[in-house]
Amino acid sequence: MNIKKIILSALLILGIGSFSGIANAACGNVVIASQNWASAELMAEVDKVILEKGYGCEVELIPGATMPTFASMDEKGAPDMNPEQWANAVYTPLIKAVEEKRLVIANKAPITGLGEGWWLTPSAIKKHPELKGMTAMEILKHPEWFPDKEDPSKGAFIGCPAGWGCQLANANLFRAFEMEKKGWVLIDPGSAAGLDGTISKAAESGKPWFGYYWNPTSIVGKYDLQAVPWGIDFAGRDNWDNCITKAEQDCADPKPTAWTKSEVNTIITSKFAKQGGKDIVKYIGKRTYPGNVMNGMLVWMADNQAGGPDAAIEFLSKHEGVWTKWVSSSVAKKVKAGL
Amino acid sequence: MEFFTKFPVMERTALMELKKGIDLSFRLFSRKYGDAIENFFDPLLFFLVKLEKLLLATPWPIIILVIGILAWFGSRSWKLVVGSAIAFILIGYFGMWNDCMATVAIISVCTTVCIAVGIPIGIIMSKSNRAEKTILPILDMMQTIPSFVYLVPILMLLGIGKVPGLIAVCIYALPPVIRLTNLGIREVDKEALEASEAFGATPFQKLRSVQIPLSLPTIFAGVNQTIMMALAMVVIASMIGVKGLGVPILRAISNQYLALGLMNGLAIVALAIIFDRITQEYGRRIQKHRGQKK
Repeated sequence: MNIKKIILSALLILGIGSFSGIANAACGNVVIASQNWASAELMAEVDKVILEKGYGCEVELIPGATMPTFASMDEKGAPDMNPEQWANAVYTPLIKAVEEKRLVIANKAPITGLGEGWWLTPSAIKKHPELKGMTAMEILKHPEWFPDKEDPSKGAFIGCPAGWGCQLANANLFRAFEMEKKGWVLIDPGSAAGLDGTISKAAESGKPWFGYYWNPTSIVGKYDLQAVPWGIDFAGRDNWDNCITKAEQDCADPKPTAWTKSEVNTIITSKFAKQGGKDIVKYIGKRTYPGNVMNGMLVWMADNQAGGPDAAIEFLSKHEGVWTKWVSSSVAKKVKAGL
Repeated sequence: MEFFTKFPVMERTALMELKKGIDLSFRLFSRKYGDAIENFFDPLLFFLVKLEKLLLATPWPIIILVIGILAWFGSRSWKLVVGSAIAFILIGYFGMWNDCMATVAIISVCTTVCIAVGIPIGIIMSKSNRAEKTILPILDMMQTIPSFVYLVPILMLLGIGKVPGLIAVCIYALPPVIRLTNLGIREVDKEALEASEAFGATPFQKLRSVQIPLSLPTIFAGVNQTIMMALAMVVIASMIGVKGLGVPILRAISNQYLALGLMNGLAIVALAIIFDRITQEYGRRIQKHRGQKK
């Protein structure tokens, strides 16, 4: 009897083990886009750990960026998931893809308190105290406060690197506000490193800086960038979607407007939504990083030169209170054991 | 057993501290000397800005004329003159004139800087075996280290713009002219040298009137390679805010604009072929001239 019990329970355990093995296998291979900025990298790595340890998926990360990743998911159905899709850049095609059931918005706001816009360094405010509380419309009257290195008679406005969605928006706003006439030049910093380089250089050397950036980022946290209020209303979706975010030749008459409210989504392909199952979709839907936690993580990553994988471990071990709420307690246990 | 299967890695926190320390000391360095270094390069920036403005302000027919004349003097071949003119007209017709002029400006200044720095270094290397042994590994490093690696310190030190872009390009484009100057001088006929020594030439006279003239074709091959490599770096330079044909290419990469990328890429190819043929023909002509003398 005893032996039978033991055998039975052993079989049961084995059975459960193999059953959970089968359940895990059902998740299968998942390809997640790890986009080339810190918060996206962190989210991709955290998803990788949780999906692998907690749900038994085989996760592969592939590099990505806003536009190429979206295009690839929309056209080819791969990668399966983009943890941090900035929706404004792809507003119209995303709505279409969701309507046509190619993509699913699994989380409407994976990070709280975020936004794009125009920012000042504290060094600018220190040098020109009048800047404090000024709106963008008022700052535009003073290009002489931000002399361009290559042509000091002009004011330098640091825009977006070539190819980013925001580059088009900044270029069109530059035209809409008639900034060229007011004595500004739009500087293309060329790359993310270039854009960050201008900010850290300005902050370190105490020179004023005025340009585009977004939150949540380590740069905003680290250099205490000040968001500039617009001093002008948002001029409607039609102007924004059909003109400001388009290439110059498709936007003949951009109207002055404030920046659109930023929206970040986690999007997944419908194939993955089916394949992954309810639990995983539920996890993605619940996975919301509070803005201050995210900023803190980003500063930590920058200070320690940590890449996504290190940061994911740091996040999972330091901020248990945050992520254990996203998953069931059994999954949380498995993830903790796997760390 | 674990020792063999798992590589003994430096402890995680210590490694992190090491990385942090390197960063911090560089940051302190750039905070202290950044402005001074920036001022040092100001004349170069001034020159670059002026040259670009000049190229942009000059009416396009004059620029094409000047390029045609240069092509003629370099190669004495009508085919090349007409070919370069057509290439530039096409570049302009497809709306890439301004970007092309910015690229031409930075490539010209870059080549000049590389020649001015590279040839003397090459001469020093050819004179001393010890110098050669020290400099060669540095050249190897300059040619193989991924450019993104040195973009970071350049950015921290000089920010973005033309001068940092120029330096990034030069790091990559400088080695060929040094290598080939060194090689050319070392390969000069021993007998010619002995003859000049027999006439009582001083080392400087030997260098000026025998070694450099005889090694000119090789040096020219180096200059040619330097120009080619500088053009290859145009896109990388655009990543730190250098205007030119690289910017639309970056935009094309991120947005999958096939036509935009292709057009600007081909414009760089056209520039490269024009510069290459002109300098190569010129090099061949000096060589021919030497051959006749023999």
